[in-house]
Amino acid sequence: MIDTLVPFKKSESLTIGIELELQLVDLHHFNLVMEAKDFLRRLSEVLHTGAIKPEITQSMIELNSSVHSSYTALLNEVTILRNALVEEADQTHIGICGGGAHPFQKWREQRIFQIERFASFSEQYGYLAKQFTVFGQHIHIGCVSADDALYLCHAMARYLPQFIALSAASPFHQDVDTSFDCSRLAVISAFPLNGTPPWILSWKKFETYFEKMVKLGIIKSMKDFYWDIRPKPEFGTIELRICDTPLTVKKAVELAVYAQALACWLLDKRPTLSRDIYLTYLVNRFRAARYGLEAILIDPIQQTTIPIADDIINTCDQLESYAANLGSQNALGQIYGMATERKNDATWLRQRCADLNSLNDVVRSQTEIWRCKEIS
Amino acid sequence: MHFLPHFPIHFNPIVLFGLTLLLGLLGGEIAKATRLLPRISGYIAVGFLVGPNGFNIATPSALADASFFVDIALGLILFDLGRHLDFSWLRHDRGLLPMAITESCFTFSLVFAILHLFKFPWLPSALAATIATATSPAVVMMVAHDISSEGPITRRTMMLTSLNNLFSLILFTILLPVTHVKSSTPQIISEHITYRLLGSVILGLIIFIITICLSRLTGKNKESQFILFVGAVALGIGLAISLNLSTMLTLFTFGVAARNLDRNHRLTEVAFGWLARLFFVLLFVVTGVYLKFQGLWQATWIVLAFLFVKILAKMIGVLIFSGASRLTKQQALALGFTLAPMAELAIGMSNRLVYFNPNFSHQLLTIITAAVAILYILGPIAVQIAFIKTGEATVESR
Repeated sequence: MIDTLVPFKKSESLTIGIELELQLVDLHHFNLVMEAKDFLRRLSEVLHTGAIKPEITQSMIELNSSVHSSYTALLNEVTILRNALVEEADQTHIGICGGGAHPFQKWREQRIFQIERFASFSEQYGYLAKQFTVFGQHIHIGCVSADDALYLCHAMARYLPQFIALSAASPFHQDVDTSFDCSRLAVISAFPLNGTPPWILSWKKFETYFEKMVKLGIIKSMKDFYWDIRPKPEFGTIELRICDTPLTVKKAVELAVYAQALACWLLDKRPTLSRDIYLTYLVNRFRAARYGLEAILIDPIQQTTIPIADDIINTCDQLESYAANLGSQNALGQIYGMATERKNDATWLRQRCADLNSLNDVVRSQTEIWRCKEIS
Repeated sequence: MHFLPHFPIHFNPIVLFGLTLLLGLLGGEIAKATRLLPRISGYIAVGFLVGPNGFNIATPSALADASFFVDIALGLILFDLGRHLDFSWLRHDRGLLPMAITESCFTFSLVFAILHLFKFPWLPSALAATIATATSPAVVMMVAHDISSEGPITRRTMMLTSLNNLFSLILFTILLPVTHVKSSTPQIISEHITYRLLGSVILGLIIFIITICLSRLTGKNKESQFILFVGAVALGIGLAISLNLSTMLTLFTFGVAARNLDRNHRLTEVAFGWLARLFFVLLFVVTGVYLKFQGLWQATWIVLAFLFVKILAKMIGVLIFSGASRLTKQQALALGFTLAPMAELAIGMSNRLVYFNPNFSHQLLTIITAAVAILYILGPIAVQIAFIKTGEATVESR
């Protein structure tokens, strides 16, 4: 079925919401388990509809928050959802964890979740559909207008490598240390409609572009664009889709409010957009995924290079007063701390692997940290 | 021509071993090709056909040489079964333990009652009911593996199988010495029970401690831990036999300890993979040799009643607590069916019974073996259908 582009729904500026794709794992061998269908049934008996949804394969679920304005409110809600998930998972004896990729699952063993959308996705993309068993965080930021949304999509592109490095939590994939901090992006890059939105800054022109793509048979709806950032007209938001799912809900919320403060600053200062940002976008994106917080970024405007950690620190300094107004200065402090220490979740996962010498036990640690249990 | 072999050629155990595997493999593939039968049915059919009740090519005595492999196979299965008994799950799912206790108690009570109704003495009836309580772990594991069944019902089947086998093993270990009631004093019998029960559990724990100590040397290396487990299982079997203890309870205890007492996670999850497959083929072919259907013709109604109440009791036990475990009706029905198979352990227990007390009710033994034979054939099919119906098996893997 072909969707038309829905009108951009005006939403309250700078409201936030998150989606977290989560791993369901067995508590004996810590591989992924095909339990999403039964687990969702169990959850539907205790949670309101829409909070938890299926994902492409049967070992994935997606947690969705509601719309919030503040760090505290968002953290409270996702903590409640996390606790409900943990309780249900305990009862049926499976584990839940964050992380951008499962360290040793075999993609060929995954099974597609049988609903029409995923079946059609699997038909279209073949084996890529099963390889898509990777786990991301999506951050929604409310925009008052469609043009603001398009402006933010391009203005934020300059900062997306920061989000990759800060959230990176997939150093292991298919049973090997990939040497990347974020191996998940390599999987997404295989899709033809990945990347960034076209250089269009007015919604009118975007509608024309969308219709062309539909007429050419390339897309059926906005969901077919696997862009790193995209407008979401039905919600009235922009959606950052670049992050790995962090290992804790707290970090997920910190990333969300960092994006919120950044959007606030961008909309306030309105720095001039330059198409040149895309000259180095893919290289910077690659470096952030490969080296994490040790990456060196290329600034195509200033024609200089800068360590990504320093870039984040500078950004944090810029955002300080905005975060204070939004009530998220503590979260900004956490982001600042990560950058100064140059430690993200990938660092933590590699350290656990070195200590435990077993990827099974690394996943065990992931399930423990997800439920905020002290790591054994 | 002294260098030529003497005729008729005497086939050594290695030839029999090879033939067992090859014929089993052939039978399994033929069964699979029917798209209805699981591979196990083929292995069992081959065993039955070459056995004394078929073409009498391989008699149980000729296959005695293979008993070493069968013992190891059973040991690995019981160890693995013990590892499925995870106390933390029982703590969180309040319906699971009552479900296991209810289905085990119902099965024991109803089978006991029906046999007693047919005028069998209480002790043989109780022993037969004990054997009926245990679900065959080998059948469940093999079918799940063959059709790549994964999901909540597959995991619960393993958990309930583990618990009903525990119930059955303990009861069997208690009742077995009582069969000597006429030739022994109550004090000796109770000492015997205590020795076998406590001794087997303690030996299982000792094997666990040895394994944990050795795992400090091996680290988490999976290849090394694989050898560690197989070695520990073989040691456990050998020591249990030498000490006149229950090999089954020893290995089961070892598995339970490995799951629940390994606080520092020194032991890793090792899949027995190809080795398990080899042992499974051997186990099913060899146990297929022991299948006897005479009881079905001699005591048709008793055998059918035995089977009916066994399946019914398990189904009721599961259904009563399915709500507490938050299972759907379809899931509960499927779970009930997966608990039906009786196979290698039932044969092992029956053989142990005869070895322990040759004067044990011959008629009852005939009935048990006939019931086992029928469930050996129908059990794997029922399990396969149940797993497919729940949507946990993959169609392509069939």
